[in-house]
Amino acid sequence: MTLRYENVSFTYPGASSGVFDISLEIGRGELLAIIGASGSGKSTILKLLAGFVKPDRGRILIEGAEVSALPPEARRLGVVFQSYALFPHMRLWENVAYPLKVRGVKKEARRAQAVEMLRRVGMDMRADDLPAALSGGQQQRVALARALVFEPRGLLLDEPLSALDAGLRVEMRDEILRVQRSAGIATLLVTHDQEEALSIADKVAVMREGRLIQLGTPRELYETPVNASVASFVGQSNLWPGKIAGAGLVETAIGPLACETHGRSPGESVIVFVRPERVEPVDAAGMAEGPGSFSGQAAADRYLGPIRRIDLMVAGGLIRLETHQREPVTAVSIPRDAVRLLPAD
Amino acid sequence: MPLIAIAYLIFLAAPVLLLALGSFGENWSNTLLPNGMTGRWYAEVASDPSFRRAFVTSLQVVGTTCALNLLIGLPLAYAIQAGARGGVRIAARLVTLMPVAVPELVLAFGFILVFSSDALPWLGSFWLLAAGHLVLTLPYTVTALVADMEQLRLDEYEHAAATLGASFAARLRDVTLPLLGTSLMSAMLTVAALSIGEFQLSNLVSGFLSRTYPVVLLQAFYGATGFACAATIVLLSLAILASLASSLTARFAGSSKAEPVA
Repeated sequence: MTLRYENVSFTYPGASSGVFDISLEIGRGELLAIIGASGSGKSTILKLLAGFVKPDRGRILIEGAEVSALPPEARRLGVVFQSYALFPHMRLWENVAYPLKVRGVKKEARRAQAVEMLRRVGMDMRADDLPAALSGGQQQRVALARALVFEPRGLLLDEPLSALDAGLRVEMRDEILRVQRSAGIATLLVTHDQEEALSIADKVAVMREGRLIQLGTPRELYETPVNASVASFVGQSNLWPGKIAGAGLVETAIGPLACETHGRSPGESVIVFVRPERVEPVDAAGMAEGPGSFSGQAAADRYLGPIRRIDLMVAGGLIRLETHQREPVTAVSIPRDAVRLLPAD
Repeated sequence: MPLIAIAYLIFLAAPVLLLALGSFGENWSNTLLPNGMTGRWYAEVASDPSFRRAFVTSLQVVGTTCALNLLIGLPLAYAIQAGARGGVRIAARLVTLMPVAVPELVLAFGFILVFSSDALPWLGSFWLLAAGHLVLTLPYTVTALVADMEQLRLDEYEHAAATLGASFAARLRDVTLPLLGTSLMSAMLTVAALSIGEFQLSNLVSGFLSRTYPVVLLQAFYGATGFACAATIVLLSLAILASLASSLTARFAGSSKAEPVA
């Protein structure tokens, strides 16, 4: 049960957009999320696997067999669409039973199977309703049931939560994960919501301008982004242009910072990256002098419940920090192990 | 504003009312309204062989035109909706809309030129007449269907059905046709209404035995007024029936589309 892209390229006819040299693998039971801004090519990745478009170069394999030239109906992949695409003229059980119908399952048997699948997503009481009578979240559940009832070889989710309210989104996210885990199915999730991706994916692929710029676990992506664009797309970050001042020291607009320079030579340009929660508020009076210590005024102080997100204006720039502390913050320290250097591009 | 609307309605309805009055009037000459009351004009229209034949021919042309619209219009609209993008899409729309922009006379003269030649001597045949009606009505079918397909987001349902394993034939049977049912019905009734009343092209390309009702109707006005009125009312009733049914189904198609999807 693996889904594989091997050096896949595709360009839309008459346009320069598309995807370029994509290689990805999704193992059995694994959930891979693809994130990126709109136009980054993430939806195209899904269309290629579903069979709505065919690659110009490279191969797409399902369970080791090449499917690049097969039409969608021959690929046996469950797809949940952004708009759910439940057939408006069919009752819920008929929607869920449709993949069984086209496979020649007898009416009684397919109704029983469909109702059982609806039960798994908590919608069996509504089996005889039409889709128009359902809320967005309920349609989502039915769409998920329909995509899984025929035991597909992979599950493709295209922005499945974007049409839902914030509260329902978290609930459905857990629901999708639960159903996906119990089905043990290789799953591709396309989303623009990095939080959604980080919270449910085993692996996350970050796309930009049709290229895959980083593939890793949510933790790898968050802790060790390969460049500034991944760092800024995944979570909040401080990114300052800087120059290596010497071994273990980098000079930035806000001042010098101690860090691991990994043998970079003095004068080399880098991007200095620090997550806001790694910036530590300190007592202004007892502040140590030297690299990594700054004092200034809060330019913005956002109360987010459990934490506060503060923009501290210091000489030469702005430091973003997140803290549980309730007192005013006027001085901070950035520890050496919180500082990472990214390539200047 | 209401005054203008009422005046316009009177202007629109007056000839029809006068026709209806005239069709039941015994005698109508040099007076504002006809004298006497009779149903004989209708009986005469019904027993007139050329009117009877024309009536049947018209129904046959309408039926054939509707069937051809369905057979050609649906795949054409589908192809435009599913396949064509950007420039090709605009070009396809332009070509299908062309017959609306080109006067029917121009089209008819073109038909006469091409089909009175020895190579294609089909002028005056039933099928050429039906083909002419098809050309005139197809734009309405295609435009209505493409618009409805887009509004219904048919491509999404098609994609969904395909991923669930449905072949093209199964998708057509289970998704496309059921979703487009009311649209198709409404488009066909519009086509019928247009085809029933079509005169310009029919008058020029129909043969003596394939004349449609409106073509024969013109000759009625050389005879008794009551007869002409009755013959016109017959055509008018048919056209109104088709238009009414068309707008009713269009409304129904509209209301089923308005259901919230997300």
